[in-house]
Amino acid sequence: MANELVNVGVAQLKIGTSEQMLRTILGSCVGICIYDRNKKIGGMAHILLPEALGSNQIEKYADTAIPALINLLLKQGCKKEFMSAKIAGGASMFKFKISTSLGQIGERNIEVSKDILKKAGIALLCEDTGGSTGRVIDFFLNDGHLKVKAGGVEQNYYKV
Amino acid sequence: MQEQIKQRLENIISTMTQLPSIPDVVSRIINMVNDPNVDFKAVADEIAKDQSLTTNILKLCNSAYFSKGKEIVSVDRAIVTLGLKEIKDIVVLVTCRNVLDKPILGYDLAAGEMWTHNLTVAILAKKMAMDIKRKDLADIVFTGGIIHDVGKTVLALYVANTFKDIMKVTQEKAVTFIDAEKDVMGFNHQDIGLKILEKWKFPDSLKAVVAYHHNPENSPKEFYKAVSIVHVANIITLMAGVGIGGDGLYHALNPDAVKETGISDADLEKYYSIVPEIVKQAKQI
Ligand SMILES: [Fe+2]
Repeated sequence: MANELVNVGVAQLKIGTSEQMLRTILGSCVGICIYDRNKKIGGMAHILLPEALGSNQIEKYADTAIPALINLLLKQGCKKEFMSAKIAGGASMFKFKISTSLGQIGERNIEVSKDILKKAGIALLCEDTGGSTGRVIDFFLNDGHLKVKAGGVEQNYYKV
Repeated sequence: MQEQIKQRLENIISTMTQLPSIPDVVSRIINMVNDPNVDFKAVADEIAKDQSLTTNILKLCNSAYFSKGKEIVSVDRAIVTLGLKEIKDIVVLVTCRNVLDKPILGYDLAAGEMWTHNLTVAILAKKMAMDIKRKDLADIVFTGGIIHDVGKTVLALYVANTFKDIMKVTQEKAVTFIDAEKDVMGFNHQDIGLKILEKWKFPDSLKAVVAYHHNPENSPKEFYKAVSIVHVANIITLMAGVGIGGDGLYHALNPDAVKETGISDADLEKYYSIVPEIVKQAKQI
């Protein structure tokens, strides 16, 4: 089945329908993918940092982008009980003084993303996170599966 | 196979014919502009000889990133309005685009991805130079940002065949991707980039940026600050995933280079946080 490719840029948030496939490329950022298995509608947030701390650029930060994504899906008639999440990204520099705040961004992004999902009551089914690898992720909205390509290796996550 | 690759790269470097080319006018303009006694009319004349270069320069002068408001319709006007250094940056941008916006297969970069990465590093590095009150370095780090990974255009083909070996070396020897490139192929993309700039007759400042952007510690002292700025801008851009390829984040951020730039920890994070806006600017160029 052909899927229409929709690119999600850094600090962007997009939702789509079953004939679409959302793609983004991640370094230390985290991609949060939420799917409603009943409606076959899903969305992706590509967050850069964990906390907005009052910034109005809600798409950039995990603690504001994830609730915004969930709201967008709810507006489409999705129900939280049918939603589930997958996350990917949050890589760190291979060699880095870990004491600097920049060196911890990947880890912090993962941690806060999980935390916000938990608070929102969305089940996190799988994660492909950490390490030093860049990731290209494809989120297929016909069945909600996530394909992660990292360093030439592909991995598929089918659970929804 | 590794021995063969080393041989072949050695051959490519010594004959230079298989390295990418750009028009000779580029090095002439760079060297004219770097001469403190330059006559701006001579630069304008040099550019005017090439009609398509002139057209492309004027287009960029009026683009959102470079425009100073008023429409610019002649090269003379462009030089007066933007200054010689900025015109030189634009000349490099226009002429290197063909070489740099191709797909870079061995590094898993699709067409245009490296180009957007380069522009993002260039704009970010220039902003850093201005912020730390080193306007004098703005043009070097901008141009350097655009061409820093030029060596990948040649090395990509060989990385495609050795990617697994390179990754294995990063794991087994706990070294960065750039060191593993050298370990496996005899050369890394900095070495190849330096050779390309020699072919292009570019100045030493830009050679230093290309040759040491992952290893600023080896840079000649006089270019250390410029190299450090591009180094930091490159790492931040990669962390944000812009132009991140198969080599991922298997690189190092050099703490001494950060110190050399004088950028604080908090400001590093601030620069990282504005990468999306910089990418937007880059895409308007
Ligand atoms: Fe590089």
